[in-house]
Amino acid sequence: MDKLIICRCEEVSLEDIENTANKYSCSARELKLRTRAGMGYCGGRTCRPAVDAVLEEVTGEKPGNDIPLKVQPPVRPVSLSVLGGKKR
Amino acid sequence: MTNNRITDHPVLGKLENQTPVKFTFDGTTYTGFEGDTIASALLANGIRQLRVHEETGAPRAIYCNIGHCFECRVTVDDTDGVRACMTTIRENMKVDSGKLQAVPFKSKPEEWPRTYAEFEKSSKKDGVPHV
Ligand code: FES
Repeated sequence: MDKLIICRCEEVSLEDIENTANKYSCSARELKLRTRAGMGYCGGRTCRPAVDAVLEEVTGEKPGNDIPLKVQPPVRPVSLSVLGGKKR
Repeated sequence: MTNNRITDHPVLGKLENQTPVKFTFDGTTYTGFEGDTIASALLANGIRQLRVHEETGAPRAIYCNIGHCFECRVTVDDTDGVRACMTTIRENMKVDSGKLQAVPFKSKPEEWPRTYAEFEKSSKKDGVPHV
C-alpha cells in the first residue's frame, strides 16, 4: 500500500510523502518542493487532492487555495508552439 | 484485431461495418477502426504500455483515459506530448512511445568520467542514455 504511487509524473509514493510529512511536519508547499509531488508534467492536477489529503492527516493542514498547492495558469499543459500561435 | 473488442454490445448493438485504419507504433504497423483513439486501437491490438517513465523507466499506460492526467502521452508524427487517449487515429499516422531520458544531474561528481576514454566507455552502455 505504501508503495502506491501518488504522483505518477514524478513517481512519488505514498510512503515518500508520509515520511517527508512526518519528518519535517511541513506545509503542502514545502512537501511539494521536497518530494516533487505535484511538480510533474500534468501540473499537479491529478495528485493534488491526494497530496492534500495525506497532509491533512499527518499535519492537520487544511487544503486551501492561497499559498499551498494553488492552481495557476496555464491550467493544463500547453506546448510553446501552441502558445506562440502555431496550430498543431 | 477484434480480439479485445466488444463486438456485440447489449445496448449499443453489434460492431460491424467498421472502416479499418492503419497506423504505426514504434515502427510496427497496426490496424484500428476509424474513430478509435490511439489508446483504444493499441489496446485492441493487445498493447497496453504506451511509454516508460522518463527517469525510472517504469511502464506507463492510460490512467484517466479522459485527457486529464497526461500519463498516456506519446509522440505523434514527431510531435511529442500528444495524449493517446484523446487523439483519433489517422491513416499512416506515426506513433512512437515515450522513452527513457538522460538524467545528467542525478550523477555524483565521483561518478563523472575523468578522461575522454572513460566517458566513451560509459556512454556505450546499452539502453542507458548518458551525457
Ligand atoms: S490517460 Fe489520462 S490523459 Fe490520457
